[in-house]
Amino acid sequence: MLNDHLLTIVTLGPTIFAVLLLFIPMRFKTVHRVITLITSIVMFGFSTRLWTGFNPDVPGFQLMPKAIPWIPQFGITYHVGVDGISLLLVLLTTLLLPVVVLAAWSLNIEHIKSLHITFLLLTTGMIGTFVALDLFLFYVFWEITLIPMYFIIGVWGGPRRIYAAVKFFIFTMAGSVFMLVAILYLAWFHHQQTGVWSYSYLDFLQTAPLLPTTGGLFAPGLLVFAAFLLAFAIKVPIFPLHTWLPDAHVEAPSTGSVLLAGVLLKMGTYGLLRFNHALLPDAWDVFAPLLIVLAVTGIIYGALVAMVQPDVKKLVAYSSVSHLGFVVLGLAAGTQASTQGAVLQMVNHGLTTGALFLLVGMLYERTYTRLIDRYGGLAGVMPIFTGIFLVVTLGSIGLPGLNGFVGEFLILAGSWAEHPVAVVFAGLGIILSAVYMLWMVQRVFWGPVDITANYALPDINLREVFVVAPMVVLIVWIGIHPNTFLEPMEASVRLLLAR
Amino acid sequence: MLTPTHAEIIAIAPELILTATAALVLIIEAFLPGLRRYLSGLTMLAIAGSIWARLSFELPGAVWAGMLRVDQLTAFVDTYILIAAFFAVWMAGPFMRRTAANCGEFYALILFATVGSMVMACSVNLLTIFLGLELLSIPLYVLNAFLKRHEVCVEAGLKYFVVGAFASAFVAYGMALLYGGSASTDLVEVGRQVVELGFLSPLTAVGFAMVVGGLAFKLALVPCHAWAPDVYQGSPTPVTAFLSVVPKGAALIVLLRMVEGMDLLHVSPRWVLAASVIAVASQTLGNVVAIVQRDIKRMLAYSGIAHMGYALVAVIVAGVDGGAAVLFYLAAYTLMNMGAFACVAQLSEREDRPHLISDLSGQGYNRPVAALALTISLFALSGIPPFIGFTAKFVVFRAAINEGFVWLAVIGVVNSLISVFYYVRVIYILYMRQLPDRQPDYGFNLPICAAASVAALGTLLLGIYPTAILAAAQSAILFLAR
Repeated sequence: MLNDHLLTIVTLGPTIFAVLLLFIPMRFKTVHRVITLITSIVMFGFSTRLWTGFNPDVPGFQLMPKAIPWIPQFGITYHVGVDGISLLLVLLTTLLLPVVVLAAWSLNIEHIKSLHITFLLLTTGMIGTFVALDLFLFYVFWEITLIPMYFIIGVWGGPRRIYAAVKFFIFTMAGSVFMLVAILYLAWFHHQQTGVWSYSYLDFLQTAPLLPTTGGLFAPGLLVFAAFLLAFAIKVPIFPLHTWLPDAHVEAPSTGSVLLAGVLLKMGTYGLLRFNHALLPDAWDVFAPLLIVLAVTGIIYGALVAMVQPDVKKLVAYSSVSHLGFVVLGLAAGTQASTQGAVLQMVNHGLTTGALFLLVGMLYERTYTRLIDRYGGLAGVMPIFTGIFLVVTLGSIGLPGLNGFVGEFLILAGSWAEHPVAVVFAGLGIILSAVYMLWMVQRVFWGPVDITANYALPDINLREVFVVAPMVVLIVWIGIHPNTFLEPMEASVRLLLAR
Repeated sequence: MLTPTHAEIIAIAPELILTATAALVLIIEAFLPGLRRYLSGLTMLAIAGSIWARLSFELPGAVWAGMLRVDQLTAFVDTYILIAAFFAVWMAGPFMRRTAANCGEFYALILFATVGSMVMACSVNLLTIFLGLELLSIPLYVLNAFLKRHEVCVEAGLKYFVVGAFASAFVAYGMALLYGGSASTDLVEVGRQVVELGFLSPLTAVGFAMVVGGLAFKLALVPCHAWAPDVYQGSPTPVTAFLSVVPKGAALIVLLRMVEGMDLLHVSPRWVLAASVIAVASQTLGNVVAIVQRDIKRMLAYSGIAHMGYALVAVIVAGVDGGAAVLFYLAAYTLMNMGAFACVAQLSEREDRPHLISDLSGQGYNRPVAALALTISLFALSGIPPFIGFTAKFVVFRAAINEGFVWLAVIGVVNSLISVFYYVRVIYILYMRQLPDRQPDYGFNLPICAAASVAALGTLLLGIYPTAILAAAQSAILFLAR
């Protein structure tokens, strides 16, 4: 009984609490914080039930209650479920929410109430995107994430926050409007084939692959694919559609960056796998070479640009472009190993980049700068902080024994057979990532303390340790025993790749 | 001499209630000035009673010698016309007191205009359509210039009058030609002849084109849109709200009846082409020009032009899907627009000053309720889920794609993307800019804020659960006479 409603609780629960917060006057800041923290921990608790209730041997969707009619005239339903792929991403989201709420504890701003409401609404949108099995529902959740993120960047961001927020909004919207047309077209096509109106993903799995992809550039299958691809490629972001990302990250508050990098970008890669690959496998074959070229370009380009950034946060933002290039490469190669690696790398990136943004945020709260040359020698001043930062950095650049290595290795090994050239170039990207990350660490933490004010910086405190601890634990865990996370998705990935 | 039956009287009871109330309002205004302050309440009561009458009395179908059709379609259209009128009066109460305008006539004129649009919407005869159109337009000419001491307001009234008179003349002349071409004033009969011939005869074609031209003025479609920004800006805000919804709703239904009756989608490729061009031009011009507007009422005028462009796509598609989409779109548009204009009425210093968007800086925290309602209305207008504006666009584009007009849907979504830019700009000015040094004195109007909140809440809740309205629209459209 509970299992039937588990996904609905995790998805819509945060919104219900957000409505509750609406009625508490804004001067009770601590009340808002505590309620949101409790909500997020409870939601995480529910989501662990997802983990324990999930049967890794079943490839299809699980914990899937019956579809509830929503707009029956069009065959639109409320239908949710998880498979091994979305399960991990849902867990990542529910894990990051309490982390973010705890990280926001130090913010001394006026509008705590609205900040927490936007966090909760955003969570509903993100989880809903991963669990929706009806394309109308999926689109609604996909778009809902825009509004809270727009406010997070625009209200609580840095000096150029309005520019960044509007750019984020328009870019993402630009992709998704075409996706709406594509969804409508798929529904029409489904009706042509079967005589039934439906927006169900499971129904589309039967009919969408029948869309013709031959007959030139304007074959319906290719156009529908391109529409989905545009929406997801902007979100990921795939080079050359990444230009909104550095702006959004630099201007967003660090809590916003964590959710943006940790989860929102994964909505793009998830969509590529779930919709582009599964619904339109023939068109996928046509587009895969393009995706591989763009992915490798993104890996190298992101790394090179990251290397010259004077701002730590911007550096981490560009490193995201590079890391997500790996994910796209793994997806585009389309073997069992590379796809599993890509999904794992989505989680890895959420953990490491999330942790990096949080750590950079802590530095910023102490010094009010993010410029690398305003630091130096922090290892002596903040030894514990330095240690944590180093673990996360090494995880990010793929040191064996930590999480990044597993994901990147699987991606490269899985892609090698078909695309050796791409793998060679991507391997270059790993080397570059070591260069820019370690160089940054060197300039920030080693050497003499150049700025006298930095002598007095306090080390990481207990709350902040709690903020990053879950991520550090998982970074090590995935590095040592990745099978915990690879097993549940194995059957699902196999089913998705099988035509 | 026609003797009305009992059923025929019942069928037009809502209109009778409003007309009687309008007369009563005028009498009170003239002879009992002490009761003047109850007029707003009385008018709202009458409108509510009229809605109740429309929804609970039986719907007999064709009445008054086949001139009017009172059926589920009429009930649907009347309901949202009346709801729009209700909102306009709700906003007007405090507004009238503040501007110290003479208030009795105002309510009577609103009621007459409402009756006119209701008549227009339920007519299936060219004569009654024209009567309805005039009954709607003439009170609006007066209402537009209601603040007679304000220059912009008088300008707006004059502009609307001149343009509106032209439009009426177009419609009248077109109707004469339609009559000449078909020897009937009955829409069904006119349509039947076109369908049987399989094409539009030249006389009918010219007549139809002129009627469409006249209606396009009312709908503010390109190229008949130029009056809209000035009139929207100059008219008293409650009147603008009324003007932005009610005449458009009635005119679109008339257009839909004609298009559907003549089966133009299949009979006349030229109509489809011409209407598509008008729809695309309206969307594009409306959205692009709205970007550079500095006055929020002008911005909403251009946004209205664009929205009628979307609705026209549904008219082109026609049929059950397209018709239902038109009805749903109008219902959604009513809610969103009423919400937006109520917020404009609240966030307004003086009627004769421009309502600059930049004056809204930082009001998100000073006036949280009105700002939130405005935010929801604007997100809805830009077509972002989960608000009803998204569902409305979804329904329209779905109908277009199902009929093979994928390109119209693509242009439509590109236009919604353009529109996001200016809607979202207002929102960031509300929440992300600092309060200016000189804070505008907006005051606080409980009724207006209540109206805005109700509209915004409806926009949200009906966006999440549109099923009931959609079902009503779909069953109503089956009554569209063919």
